Amino acid sequence: MQDHSGRIAVDGLSKRFGTVEAVRDLGFTVEPGLVTGFLGPNGSGKTTTLRMILGLVVPTSGTALVEGVPFETLGSPGRVLGAVLEAQGFHPSRTARRHLLVCAAAIGVPDRRVDEVLGLVGLAVDADRGVGGYSLGMKQRLALATALLGDPRILVLDEPGNGLDPAGIAWLRDFLRGFARSGRSVLVSSHQLAEIGQSADRVVVIHRGACVYQGELAGLGGGRRGRVLVRCAEPVTLAQALVAKGLMEVDTLPDGRLAVGGADAVLVGDTALAAGVAVYGLVEEQVDLEQLFLQLTGGVAG
Amino acid sequence: MIAPTASRMLRAELRRTTSVRMWWALLIPVVLLALSINVFGGVFSSSLSGLGGETPGVLLASLAYSLSLGSVFAAVHGAVQASGEFRHRTITTTYLTGGRVPVLLARCAVGAAVGAVYALGTLAFGLVAGLFGQGSATFPSPGPLFGLIGSGIAVCALWAVLGVAVGTLVTNQAGAVVLLLVYVLAIENVLSLILRSGADAGLGTGPPAIARITSYLPGNAADVALYDIPAVELAGPRYGNQAVESLAGVASPPPGWACLIVLALWAGAGVAAAWVVGARRDVT
Repeated sequence: MQDHSGRIAVDGLSKRFGTVEAVRDLGFTVEPGLVTGFLGPNGSGKTTTLRMILGLVVPTSGTALVEGVPFETLGSPGRVLGAVLEAQGFHPSRTARRHLLVCAAAIGVPDRRVDEVLGLVGLAVDADRGVGGYSLGMKQRLALATALLGDPRILVLDEPGNGLDPAGIAWLRDFLRGFARSGRSVLVSSHQLAEIGQSADRVVVIHRGACVYQGELAGLGGGRRGRVLVRCAEPVTLAQALVAKGLMEVDTLPDGRLAVGGADAVLVGDTALAAGVAVYGLVEEQVDLEQLFLQLTGGVAG
Repeated sequence: MIAPTASRMLRAELRRTTSVRMWWALLIPVVLLALSINVFGGVFSSSLSGLGGETPGVLLASLAYSLSLGSVFAAVHGAVQASGEFRHRTITTTYLTGGRVPVLLARCAVGAAVGAVYALGTLAFGLVAGLFGQGSATFPSPGPLFGLIGSGIAVCALWAVLGVAVGTLVTNQAGAVVLLLVYVLAIENVLSLILRSGADAGLGTGPPAIARITSYLPGNAADVALYDIPAVELAGPRYGNQAVESLAGVASPPPGWACLIVLALWAGAGVAAAWVVGARRDVT
């Protein structure tokens, strides 16, 4: 039974396209009242996951439930969930107003709602032009207007920042926060932490189709400590000495330096002195969320 | 919930169809064909001279011929309507605001309505053109005329539904339209020829069963349904069936109403296939 909670629950979700495992055993929830950020690099399975939640892609296994039921079984989906998807299409010769009138009829909201959402996203002036002449940013606004037509309890947005100018992004960020504060749910994906970092209450980070972190954004750095980067004469000797002291997170960086996790500069310096290894440089590295995100998702870090 | 969903989907689909030019852009060639074919209905009377050309049946036959062509445009409209959603990637929004199956059914209904409009346009313009252009033509008597109107609307509506099914199955727009046209203009004719070739070798006890299949192909079934009434008007009840054979290119056709059912079964099969494939397809 549909529970009208505004929750999304993803459990054990997997999708295989041929030999490619696009999404692997993914599980997370989207709660009302919060903006949930869905982060991952391009090609990590974000869009596939969102499309499985929306019933557009059939999962290989697992479930994605909207208000406790699969999306396609919702009685009037447009009133429950609005979606702004990447590369969402419009017929080029249909005007924005007529596009919205089609959707308003399908959702079952009165036609005056079309003017309301056009005003809300700032497209009232251009509403009677064919969408073919719209800029990418205007199409994003029209997609958002479409998503809002049914006054849904859940908003799902896939890379909404694409094509929006900085003012548009700031406006969208405020809008999403306000939407969540009114007790409704927002799930917004991005490949850039910075884009949604400021507005997301929770984040789900995926990499190669699998979840690598979920929780509060601040907690993203919580389990991790800073690293110390050492340039020295004999990295191998120093590494052995560090391991002997119980420091297991010792990596060799491409430039020949050692990266020591869970230690501070004093400890590393003392160890080097005791081992008789000459140290040429010692840098304490603070955990930066952006860098951490890159580490989690296999980007170049350090 | 069923009734409100149906009316929402129908209203949306109607708006979707009428908010772009396609439906009336295709109506133009339909009307032009209806005008030219019926003005020059004499082509029919000369080819049918052996069956008694100068009868009111000639106008009905040329109307039936133009309805047969009109149904092709109805099918193309249905295919363009359905596959265009994939071409312009509007299918995502359509599925998100409706359900896959309600959308398919509403699309069939609206497609059928457009087909019916094409049939009525063909009949109205064709009738006027025929009365002016065919010197000896008289206004057909109401019985056969209404019969032809009914079967014309049914044939165009059912072909439109088949078009929607093809456009849903073959999501590439050009592919869907080309497939439809190649089937209607070439494949079915070749198939009929092959099936009938057995009949020629027969020993005069009626065509063999394999040749009778010709009437059950969707294009031929539509033609039999359309020519059934004009043929009786042309050749009389006794030789009507032979007239249908020569007009529709089939062997031993069943009655027109039976062929309408055959066409409806084809349309139903197409929709069922589109239902099964469309319901599980990944929309990426």
